[in-house]
Amino acid sequence: MTTQDQVNPPPPEGESSISLPGIYVSLTDFPLDILSIMDKVRSPEAGAIVTFAGTTRNNFASKPVTSLTYTSYRPLALQTLSFIASSLLTKHALKGIAIVHRLGTVPIGEESILIAAAWLAGEEALEECKEKVEVWKREEFKDGGVWRANRDGHQGAEVKEGSKGE
Amino acid sequence: MSATPKPAAPGNFTILYFATATSFTGKNVESLPAPLSLRKLGDVLEERYKGIREGVLGHSLVTINLAYVDVPEEGEDDVIIQEGDEVAIIPPVSSG
Repeated sequence: MTTQDQVNPPPPEGESSISLPGIYVSLTDFPLDILSIMDKVRSPEAGAIVTFAGTTRNNFASKPVTSLTYTSYRPLALQTLSFIASSLLTKHALKGIAIVHRLGTVPIGEESILIAAAWLAGEEALEECKEKVEVWKREEFKDGGVWRANRDGHQGAEVKEGSKGE
Repeated sequence: MSATPKPAAPGNFTILYFATATSFTGKNVESLPAPLSLRKLGDVLEERYKGIREGVLGHSLVTINLAYVDVPEEGEDDVIIQEGDEVAIIPPVSSG
C-alpha cells in the first residue's frame, strides 16, 4: 500500500453516530474530547471507567510524517463499530462502551480514537477496531503520501495477490 | 447515519472507492451500468482502470449495500449487482 498520489479526500460530513442501549459509536470531523466520551458510558453501577486514547505519531518507521488524514466509508464503519462494541459489551458484561474515531486531517500528537468502557475492554476494543473498521489513514511525507494498511505492518509492504478475504 | 452519495441514475449502480482504490481511479464514486454479474466486476474495472486488478482488487474486499460479499469463483453461484445498489471496494483498513 505505498501508492503515492494526490487524491483529495471527500469533503467533511461533520459527525455521525449510532446509539444503542449501552453502546455509543461515532465518527467525527472534530477534535475528540475524553470527558464527553466518558459521559457516554458513565454508570453508578460500574465503579470504573477505563479509557484508551490513540494519538497520531510523527513518524512511520523513522520517516517523518508531516500530516495525517483519515477517510472512511461512514455507514459501514459505523455498523462495524457498533458490532464490535456490541460483542464486547456482551463478552465482558460491560455497563457501557463508547468508541469514537476522528476523521479528516488530525494534527500530529492529537487523539484519533477514543474508547471508553464502564469496566475493562479498552485494549481489546482497539485491536479489533484496527483490524476491521472501514477507516483508512493517509500519511503525508515531504516527498508524497502513503495509504496505510494496518495488516501490512512495517513500511506498508506490498500485499500479495490472492490474500483477499483473510 | 451519514449522507451517502446520491442514488445512481436509472439503469446504473453506484460504486464507491476508498484509499488506494481512490488513488488508483482518481475517484471517490461513480455510476456503472446495471445489472452486472459480481464475477464480471473485476473485468469491467480492469477495462476502465488498467492494472487495478493486481494493484488494488487483489487485496481488497467488496461490499454490496453495506454487506461484505464473496466474489464467486468459477462454478460457484454468481451474485448480480442490481440497479440502485451501492457497491464499495474496501482495501485493507488502517483505523486507530
